[in-house]
Amino acid sequence: MLAFLARLTLAVVGLSVLTGPTHAQQKELTLWTHWAAEQIKRDYVEAAIREFETKNPAIKIKPTWYEKTALYAALKTALRAGQAPDLFYAEPDQVEYMENGFLLDLSDLNWAAIEPWAKQAWTYKGKPYGFPLEAWTVELYYNRKMMEELGVAVPAALQLTPDAFLDLVKKAKAKGWTPMALGVGDRPFPGAHLTHEALLKKLGTEDYDKLLKGKLAWTDPRVVDTLKYVRSLTAAGLLPATFTSLKLGEAHTYFHTNPRALMFLNGSWYTSRAFNAPDKGGQPVDFALGIMKFPNVPGAACADCRTIAVGGSYVGNADTKHKKEVIAFLNSFATVEKGNEWLAKVQVQSGIKSDPAKLTGKAADYFKMIAATNAGATYYFGIPIQVMQGKPKEVFTQIINNAFPAGSIGVEDAAKQLQAAAN
Amino acid sequence: MREAMPAKRHGGLRQPWGTITAFLLPALTVYAAFTAYPAFRTLWNSFHKVLPRREEFIGLANYTELLQDEIFWRAVRNTITWACISPLVEVTVALLLALALYARIPGARFFRIAWFTPVLMSYIVVGILWVWIYNYDWGPINVALRALGLGGLARAWLGDPDTALPALIFITSWMWVGFNMVVLLAALHSLPKEVIEAAELDNCGWGAKLVFVVLPLVRATLLNLVVLSFIGKMKIFDLVWITTKGGPLWATETVSTYVYKRAFEWTTFDLGYPSTIATLWFVIVLGAVLALTRAFRLREKLEY
Repeated sequence: MLAFLARLTLAVVGLSVLTGPTHAQQKELTLWTHWAAEQIKRDYVEAAIREFETKNPAIKIKPTWYEKTALYAALKTALRAGQAPDLFYAEPDQVEYMENGFLLDLSDLNWAAIEPWAKQAWTYKGKPYGFPLEAWTVELYYNRKMMEELGVAVPAALQLTPDAFLDLVKKAKAKGWTPMALGVGDRPFPGAHLTHEALLKKLGTEDYDKLLKGKLAWTDPRVVDTLKYVRSLTAAGLLPATFTSLKLGEAHTYFHTNPRALMFLNGSWYTSRAFNAPDKGGQPVDFALGIMKFPNVPGAACADCRTIAVGGSYVGNADTKHKKEVIAFLNSFATVEKGNEWLAKVQVQSGIKSDPAKLTGKAADYFKMIAATNAGATYYFGIPIQVMQGKPKEVFTQIINNAFPAGSIGVEDAAKQLQAAAN
Repeated sequence: MREAMPAKRHGGLRQPWGTITAFLLPALTVYAAFTAYPAFRTLWNSFHKVLPRREEFIGLANYTELLQDEIFWRAVRNTITWACISPLVEVTVALLLALALYARIPGARFFRIAWFTPVLMSYIVVGILWVWIYNYDWGPINVALRALGLGGLARAWLGDPDTALPALIFITSWMWVGFNMVVLLAALHSLPKEVIEAAELDNCGWGAKLVFVVLPLVRATLLNLVVLSFIGKMKIFDLVWITTKGGPLWATETVSTYVYKRAFEWTTFDLGYPSTIATLWFVIVLGAVLALTRAFRLREKLEY
């Protein structure tokens, strides 16, 4: 019995000596990420994790999936308490992370594989802090069949004049249709697309940047004129009556399924919902999707100016004990192949360099349309709430995202309140 | 022997500090850790800029900024409006319903359950339910208005700055009437029968009995319900967050939602300013509750 116990002990000790170092050497990186409900993006990231773990058996990535609001709230307390994960999801507007030294300097990343503008979006005081997975442009989607039924031909340049667009809105309304599906029930930005794209065209990138940063007055005649043009569109019945309570997901369905709207102004991540199966909220199989440029505005300084934004990104925790592993994991995304894979699977632009020419099928058609509307574009990087901070951002959200397009506040009053917040 | 016993008991009562400490320490520790310290810390924070890894004393700067903060004052106005209207509506309607049940109307048992049910639901469920009810296109309110030929009155109830706050006040009143009704019903059932009978023998009518006998007797209960409702509305957060997030145009912003926005959604880690709002609001609520209690205080004890 004694001999048996001795042998057993030896065997256990021997086994632990053999296996111990492997377990002791395996490092676990924690990742808190948004996209709990966006299966396509989740699949992409999970596949990348599996691939990375296969190539790096000594490293294990442990993801926790959240919805954005819950993630942000959890991170605020976890970062403060020193309990944050090694890697987490963030967006470039979260400058407070960088201001307080919470993010890992990612200078060692393979930036050659990242679009320069995407790196710029994540650069703070000369150092890059985020890996820009997702990028997007503001696109004006439309229903081709409804447009044909209305007898309106979208010009070859894909951009309507201010008057032609107003006329289109009136014609759709006269037919009993909702000209544009848009809702601000659960997001602080969809309603603002209408005004900020118009302002960008009117002012051009430099003055638009000044406006968002408080260096150009909201009472500037050009700004007021643009607000008046936008008001003429909403007054003509551009938006659904449910605009203030319609949620983002519902606005998608409103556009392509029920009750249907002629147009839909949305980020190019439209695909992440609409290209799902119809029983999972996707657009109907035979849906004739078209994309045109946002209409020109009266007296525009830059008719081809448009917004491009970096969205979902991954950042490293400055306090991580596994800096090299964090960089290695993020670098595993930084290849043209991974960029192409993102385009093909997620069907949204990416900050990773990619080659859309290699795409096939539905994704290829979609990116051809996106390429056409973006041809010759001059970009402004970031939507206003990614650029503005504090009170101006809150006032902008309440007024430009919601009350102004809803018609609850007049042009002069809106400009006055925005200017008061900017002072 | 008789003298010795009290002396022993007396001595025992004088020095049971070990026992007293053993009994009080757990509760005091919990109180100190989760009530006293956070309250003190909030007050402390209000005089500081509180960023991760560093704090900076800034004196009254947060208070000065707060006094000039238009959004805060709008939130104060909304919250006080809510806290003043809702208790009156809730307690008045609850009293009427409680009287109806007390008078044993037909179906009283069913109505007691039906009227009480809303309070059993969480604000989250109630919020989602009423977002549907208030829906512009297919919500029952607008559908009914259109069916009655009053389509012109149909609107996005939660999306219109003029109707959003009243719509939310209606929801809380609908939700809490049942709770107030049950408490008042219990109070009515515990009224001294001889007083009611004496009033009836004196040919006291229904209205006079209510005004001069019943209401004075349930006054303490009414006061408690009003104060409870008032405090609840001064702290309201979840319903607003689920339905409107303080919009449109701050029409439903409450102090609690504004504190949350400043603490967690304002692209800053500073906890000083939100703590200042919380501190000032605590003082306002405390003052209001004391004033309310004083106003309702019974000047003379009722005797019957």
